[in-house]
Amino acid sequence: MKYGEDLPIDLGGDVNVEAPKIRTVIGIKPKTLGDLRKALEWVEKEIVKVLHSTHIGNEESLIDYESKAMHVSMADHVGMEVADIAQIVAFGFPKAKPDTDLVPTGFGIIDVKKPVIVVVGHKVMYSRPIIDYLEKEGKLDEFEIAGLCCTAHDITRYRSKGKIFGPISYQLRVIRAGLPDVVVSDEQCIRADLLEVCSKMGIPLIATSDAAARGLPDVSDWDVKDIVEALVSGKLKGVFLPVPEKVGEVAPLVAKAIFERNKGRKYKFFASDEELKAEIAKCTQCMSCVFTCPHNLRIDQGMAFAQKTGDLSKLAVLEEQCIACGKCEQACPKGIKILNVIMRSNFEKLYSKTGKTRVGRGPIQDTEIRKVGQPIVFGQIPGVIAAVGCINFSDEMKSIVEILEEFLKRMFIVVTSGCHAMDVGMIKDEEGKTLYEKYPGNFDAGCIVNVGSCVANAHIAGAAIKIANIFAMRPLRGKYVEIADYILNRVGAVGFSWGPYSHKAASIATGFNRLGVPVVVGPHAMKYRRAYIGKPWKKDKWWVYDIKSGQKVFIEPAPDSLLVAVETKEEAIVQLARLCMRPNDTSMGRQIKLTHYIELSKKYYGDLPDDWHLYVRSEADLPSKMREELLKELEEKHGWKIDWEKKKIVSGPVRGYDAGFNPTIVEEVYAKYRR
Amino acid sequence: MISREDKFPAAKRYNVADVQVSREATAVKPAVVANMIKKASNPVLITGGVLLKEPKLVEIVVKFYEKGIPIIATAGSSKPLIEKGVRPIFKTYTLHQITQFLLDGDFRINGKKVDLAVFLGFLPYYLSRMLSALKHFSDIRTITIDEFYHPHASFSFTNLTKDKELYYSMLEEVVSKL
Repeated sequence: MKYGEDLPIDLGGDVNVEAPKIRTVIGIKPKTLGDLRKALEWVEKEIVKVLHSTHIGNEESLIDYESKAMHVSMADHVGMEVADIAQIVAFGFPKAKPDTDLVPTGFGIIDVKKPVIVVVGHKVMYSRPIIDYLEKEGKLDEFEIAGLCCTAHDITRYRSKGKIFGPISYQLRVIRAGLPDVVVSDEQCIRADLLEVCSKMGIPLIATSDAAARGLPDVSDWDVKDIVEALVSGKLKGVFLPVPEKVGEVAPLVAKAIFERNKGRKYKFFASDEELKAEIAKCTQCMSCVFTCPHNLRIDQGMAFAQKTGDLSKLAVLEEQCIACGKCEQACPKGIKILNVIMRSNFEKLYSKTGKTRVGRGPIQDTEIRKVGQPIVFGQIPGVIAAVGCINFSDEMKSIVEILEEFLKRMFIVVTSGCHAMDVGMIKDEEGKTLYEKYPGNFDAGCIVNVGSCVANAHIAGAAIKIANIFAMRPLRGKYVEIADYILNRVGAVGFSWGPYSHKAASIATGFNRLGVPVVVGPHAMKYRRAYIGKPWKKDKWWVYDIKSGQKVFIEPAPDSLLVAVETKEEAIVQLARLCMRPNDTSMGRQIKLTHYIELSKKYYGDLPDDWHLYVRSEADLPSKMREELLKELEEKHGWKIDWEKKKIVSGPVRGYDAGFNPTIVEEVYAKYRR
Repeated sequence: MISREDKFPAAKRYNVADVQVSREATAVKPAVVANMIKKASNPVLITGGVLLKEPKLVEIVVKFYEKGIPIIATAGSSKPLIEKGVRPIFKTYTLHQITQFLLDGDFRINGKKVDLAVFLGFLPYYLSRMLSALKHFSDIRTITIDEFYHPHASFSFTNLTKDKELYYSMLEEVVSKL
């Protein structure tokens, strides 16, 4: 390790429980960068063991098979924690600071009068030296450095001079628009055809990671000037250069030379409106593109309308949802540049979809957990909504903001990361403000926290673990089962992946599931073929051990699902609210949670939820404004007995409320705390 | 069964790279759909989020309801339906949850097992996986009356994406023959 195995793990003065995931899963407390190696070795060993079992399908029981999916995803969460801690301490990223800088985000962020270096992928190690080099040369202000996908988050965590172009789906938008003068790719969420699309636009590509070498010559041993000359002259369309310091020098030199050569380049996908019109005229509405599009977007209708009327508005609407995969163009028998047509049709809006993202802060402070731990566990803070993952939304991009703002206004804690976090940074309200500018960055009610890139998701899981440790004094080391049981029964946190896309997103979701956190996913998640869905009508299946009474207690199904897919934003909102309920909620907590659930159901479904009564343990759980109406409903529709004089429930609920109720579903935990 | 003489659009599949099917849905005409619903002992119509964007589909579902077909509304499709007087059996659960319920042999609607599920108003790629699960792991017959031909269903309308008027007229025909 270049930074020294002895480099201490210091995540700031307010983080004493650093690496909660590693502590809980592996049972060690890493103190130095070198200690992380032990965690990583464990992760690698476990992944190999699971691969060994699953590559040919050894498991007979589906439960054991699912257990392996959960195990490998838990290991992935450990790996994410290793990665993010390493980059925070080695690269000096923000350490749990709630008020990090706001950085420009979106398609229209760059000053086109400067050379533009675009970094894409998930591993900032290779693009960070670009900033080092330009700082050393005193030329940072002469260049634009903007990222796509998680490298974008991490370059801004390194220096807030970096900018965020956008999520994974912005790769073709940015490259086809001719915005970069050089592209530096690393790994994970990068297009497989990046070399091809860059070279079509005359943009040199520097591939840095051996995860995606792209058949390019390895120029590690070349002199910098020879690499620059080969790329600028076009002798090589791209190079494989896995040497961070050389990347730092080559990228700016190439960008500058290409920029000077290409001055006056058009930035609107087509040279002229006539060219655009001619492209649209080629369409015969054969439907090949529609049948190939992952969203089945009605490109045919947009093209036909534009042909008849010259109006591009129906094509423009498609841009709001298009993930720019490019499959439509592969399917088109006429070879129409469909993506360019769509992007050009909405160019002004695309260009103005530019806002600010609060730089990823990394971990949650212990002091913040101390403040919110109790209200979360008792239910007064109605829930933590963690919006993570990709942008494969079934609706327009602004839908993510509409969903999250519903919860921010209702004083939930909202946490975000990855591509969701940067989409939030692009969508502005009527006053031109993004959610980051409207709501604070603390881990607290009514606040929105951007933890950072996908690997920073480990801090969200870490926050849930820290609630058990800091608030409830539960020990962490090697106590994963106990902690997950605690979280499932007490911490009203729900993951939300509105636009699942990569398998990494699936792994993150499943890792949260193993920790006892339900996850609501968008409709594309169906391709992962996973459902963790309980049957609320099977009342004999819903029980826990109550440590206080020593009894097996039948309970309400809270939560009734661990992984559930939704189709619309309305459905997402209601599901997120209902899955925040936990058996341990106090009466006040349940009342607050039930109020939100019922209000949201009425607002978006037009009626009371089907299952609201299942969550009522006593009249004190009922939303106060609706108490009379709901008591009546309980009596008439559900046959409960009500004492109308005292306005009390006499009989009906699955169980009564007990302030000392101490639920667990793990026999060892029950035995441990009953002693 | 659709014959060449019926002159319906072809039952063309979508997302062929993703949706692999060894036993494809039988493409059916509206009259056949109506007959199957009438002959079923406990049919149910399940509605999805497209209803929020297509008022005509809401109108059709209201007619199904008026003919006595039980409705399960997902994705918020309950709201426009309730506004028009429909009382869905369920409105809170997602299609993902409803599918899991249907896969469970103990699940009952009006005290009986569902033997026929009709689907209307869903995102094609989302519904597709649910139909696949029902095809492989249940004995429930499924019919889709969406614009897209659904290979994973037991029975499906053909591909009607090119002709909205024809599609709507087919939905009306189903309702009128119930």
